[in-house]
Amino acid sequence: MASKKKVREKEGLSSGERFLNEKRRRLSFLVKMEPKKMILYPLIVFLIAALVLAVHPPEKGIDLKGGVVITIYNLNANPGYVASYVHQKTGISVHAESFKYLSGTAGIRLYAPAGSNSDAIVSALKEKYPNAEITPMTVDPTFGRIAQKQGIKAIIYAFLGMAVVVFLFFRDLVPSGTIIFSAFSDMVIALATMGLLGINLTTATIAALLMLIGYTVDSNILLTTRLLKRKEDTVEDAYLSAVSTGFTMSTTTLGALFVLWLVSTSEVIDNITIVLIFGLLADFMNTWVLNAGVLRWYISSPLHFNIKLRRGK
Amino acid sequence: MARRRKSLKKLLLNWRVLLLILFLVGSLASIAAYGLTYGIDIGGGVALIAKPDHPVSGDTVNGIITSLQNRINTFGIKDISIEAQHESETGETLFVIKVANVTLEEAKQIKDIIESQGVLYLEFDGTVFATGSDVTVPSGQYGLDLQKGPTAWRVGFQLSDKAQNKFKKIAAHKVGWPVDIFLDPPVNSLMVVSHQVYQELQDVQAFNGQAGAQAPTLLERIEKGLNITVVPYTNQTPEEIVNNATALNKTAIILADVPKNLYSNVSSIVKNGNLKIAVSYYTPQNGESYPSFIRRILHLYGPYSLAFDPAEGNQAQLEITGGAATKEAALQEAKMMYAVLRSGSLAVKLHVISEQYISPTLGQNFKKQAGIAGLGALIAVLLIVYLHYRRWKIAIPVTSTSLFEVTIILGIAALIHWNLDLPSIAGIIAAIGTGVDQQIVITDELLGGISSATRRSTFRRIARAFFVIFASATTTIVAMSFLLIYFVGTLKGFAVTTILGVLIGILVTRPAYAEIAKYLLTEG
Repeated sequence: MASKKKVREKEGLSSGERFLNEKRRRLSFLVKMEPKKMILYPLIVFLIAALVLAVHPPEKGIDLKGGVVITIYNLNANPGYVASYVHQKTGISVHAESFKYLSGTAGIRLYAPAGSNSDAIVSALKEKYPNAEITPMTVDPTFGRIAQKQGIKAIIYAFLGMAVVVFLFFRDLVPSGTIIFSAFSDMVIALATMGLLGINLTTATIAALLMLIGYTVDSNILLTTRLLKRKEDTVEDAYLSAVSTGFTMSTTTLGALFVLWLVSTSEVIDNITIVLIFGLLADFMNTWVLNAGVLRWYISSPLHFNIKLRRGK
Repeated sequence: MARRRKSLKKLLLNWRVLLLILFLVGSLASIAAYGLTYGIDIGGGVALIAKPDHPVSGDTVNGIITSLQNRINTFGIKDISIEAQHESETGETLFVIKVANVTLEEAKQIKDIIESQGVLYLEFDGTVFATGSDVTVPSGQYGLDLQKGPTAWRVGFQLSDKAQNKFKKIAAHKVGWPVDIFLDPPVNSLMVVSHQVYQELQDVQAFNGQAGAQAPTLLERIEKGLNITVVPYTNQTPEEIVNNATALNKTAIILADVPKNLYSNVSSIVKNGNLKIAVSYYTPQNGESYPSFIRRILHLYGPYSLAFDPAEGNQAQLEITGGAATKEAALQEAKMMYAVLRSGSLAVKLHVISEQYISPTLGQNFKKQAGIAGLGALIAVLLIVYLHYRRWKIAIPVTSTSLFEVTIILGIAALIHWNLDLPSIAGIIAAIGTGVDQQIVITDELLGGISSATRRSTFRRIARAFFVIFASATTTIVAMSFLLIYFVGTLKGFAVTTILGVLIGILVTRPAYAEIAKYLLTEG
C-alpha cells in the first residue's frame, strides 16, 4: 500500500485525481460528439418511444380497471388444467398463468373478469388444493376508475411541481425546459417499454414512474449546475467531470435495482424495479447526451447571453 | 499519528456526526420499544375498501366507523384499523378497513359484516319491542350524566309510536328489569356451549340487573325473543349437533368454549351436506370474563335496568344510562352506545369495492424476502461503489450511510406507528437510491479538489454539491406532497417514506457523510 501511494505522489497527482482522470478518459468519447448530434439521437429515440406508446400503450392492471386476481402460491400444476377445473366447478372462465421466482417459490395466478364471485373460485381451489396459499384480490370497476384518475392526477401534479421547482432554481428558460423535457422523455420511454414487455400500469408502476421523476431531476440538476456554475477551465472539462459522476451514480443505482429484481419474489417490487431500470437507462441518455448537448450548444450560442441579460434586469 | 487521532476525535465531536449518531441510537431504541408494524400486503390480513350507497356527512361517518369497529370487534381482539378517506374526485367518502392476521374464512365474515347493515334489537322480557327502524337518535345526544354521579353517562333516543306502545304494554310496573340491546345478534341459531357458559347464561346477578330472579334469565330471554336455542355440550357428536340444528330449522350453529376440533368437524359436515347453515366458533380470550365473553358472542350491549315505569307519564324521549369506573371510561361507553343505537338507524349500506387478502404465513415469507432483497441491494451498492473508486474507504462509508438511513426511516416509522406496506418499502428504496447518488456527488466533488486543497476550495465544492442536493430534494418533496394530499389509500405510504427519507437525507445523513468523507479523503 505504502509504495503504491508513493508512486502516485511522484506523479504529482493525488490518488483521487488520478482516479477521476482515468474515469474521464474512458468517457471522453462523449465529449467528441457534436452538440447537434447529441440532441438529435435522443430525440429520435423519444419519437420512436412516443410512436410505440401510441400504438401499443401498457395495459391497465386489475387495481386500475377492476377484476379478480387469485394468486396461488406453493402450487405446481398446469395452469391450463387449473383454469378448466375452475371453469368446470364454478362456471367462471378464468385466465391462468404460472409464475416462478429464482428463490424457488412457484405458483399460479388466475384472472377473472370484474364481478366474478371470487369466494366461489377460492372454495373450489381449496377443495382441490388444500395446502396451497390462496390470496384473492377483488377490485370493483368503480374503485378502479377512482384509482386510475388519482394515478393520472398524481403523475401530472408531481410533474408540474417538479417543473416549477426546477424553473425557480435555475430561472433560465432553456436549461430548465430541457430538464423538464428530459423527465418527460424518460417517462414516455419507460411507458413504451412497459407496453412492449407487457407490464401493466398499476398503482405500483405509477409509483415507479414517480420515483423516476426524482432520479431524473437528480442527475439533470447535477449536470446543469456543473455546466452553468462551472469553475473548471472549459465546458468540456465541466461536462466530463459531471458525466463521470453521473456514470457512477447510474451504474450504482442500476446495479442495486438489478439485484433487487433478481432476489425479490414480489410481483410489485419486480414491476417497480423493471420500470425503473428502463427509465434510468433512458435517463442516462437524456441527461448526459440530450441535456448535455442542449447545454453545450446553449452556452456557446448568443441566445444564452440574451436571456441572461434580460433576466438580470 | 497523534495528529490523526486528534482529528478523528474532532470528527466524532462534529455536530453533524453527533446528530447522525443521536438519530441512529434514537431509531434503534424506537424500533426496540415500539417494533415495526406491517401493512396487510406484507404482514398478512385483509384490506377492504367500502363505499356507502349514498353520500354521507361527518357525524354519520363517525357513526359508521364506531359501529363497524364494534361489530368487527366481536371476532375477538384483532388488529383492526378503520379509516374514512375523502375522495376528492367524486366527493365521496370511502372507508378503508384493515384487519391483520385473520384466516380466509374470517376475512369473508368480516366482508359480510361490512356489507350487511347493522340490525338493532331492543328486547324486554323475551319480546323484541323495537328494531333499528323504530329508533331515532338525535345527533349529539350523549354525554355524562352529572346529576346521577360523577362517572354516570346517558344516551338519549326516541322510539316510534308502535314500538313505544308495545314497550308500555310489556314493561308496565317492571322497574329495575333488564333491557337488552343487541346489534346483529345471531338470531335463529343453535348455540352449543360449555357447561360454564350455560351456567353463566342463567346467572341472575350478571344479567338481570336489580330484578334478580324475578325476571327471566338471559337464557330464557334469548330463546323466546331471538329464537336462540342454547344447549350445553355433553360430548354430542358433530352429526348430532348438525341434525339438531336442521330439525329446529336453524340458520346458524354457534360453538362457544368447546373443543376446537368440534368446529372443523361440524363445518365439514355442513359443507359436505350442502346445508345453508353458518358455523362459527368462539373461545374466551386471555383474561376475558365469562359475562363479557357471552356479551361478545351474542353481540349484546347492556343489559340496562329499566329506570322508570313506562306505564306512568308519556315520555317521548327515552334514555339509557350507565356508569363506569372513570369519567373517560363513562364517556367512552356513552359514545359506543350512541354509535350502536345510531347504527341501527344509519340507513347506509356499504359496498366493498376492493378487497385483498394475504395469509399470515405468506406475510412472514414476504418479510423475510424483503429483508434478503434489501441486503442484496446493499451489497450490490458496496461492490459497485468499490469497483468505481477501488477504495473501501469510500465504498464502506457510502454503504453504511445508506444502512443508517434505512435504520432512521424505520425508527421514525416505528415511532409514528406507520404501517409498512409494499408502497412504503418502494419509497424507502427510492430514498436510498437518491441517497447513494448524492453521496457520489459529494465524493466526486471532494476527490476533484484535493490536490490543490486549500480549505476554501473544499468548502466551495461541498457547497456546490449541496446546491444540487437541495435542489433535487426540494423537487422530490414538492412532487410527493401532491401525492400525499390527493391520493386515497394505496400510494400514501410511498409518499410518506420518500419524503421522510429525503428529509433525513438532507438534514442528517448527507451532512454527516460529507464530514466523514472529508476526513477520510483529505487526510488519508
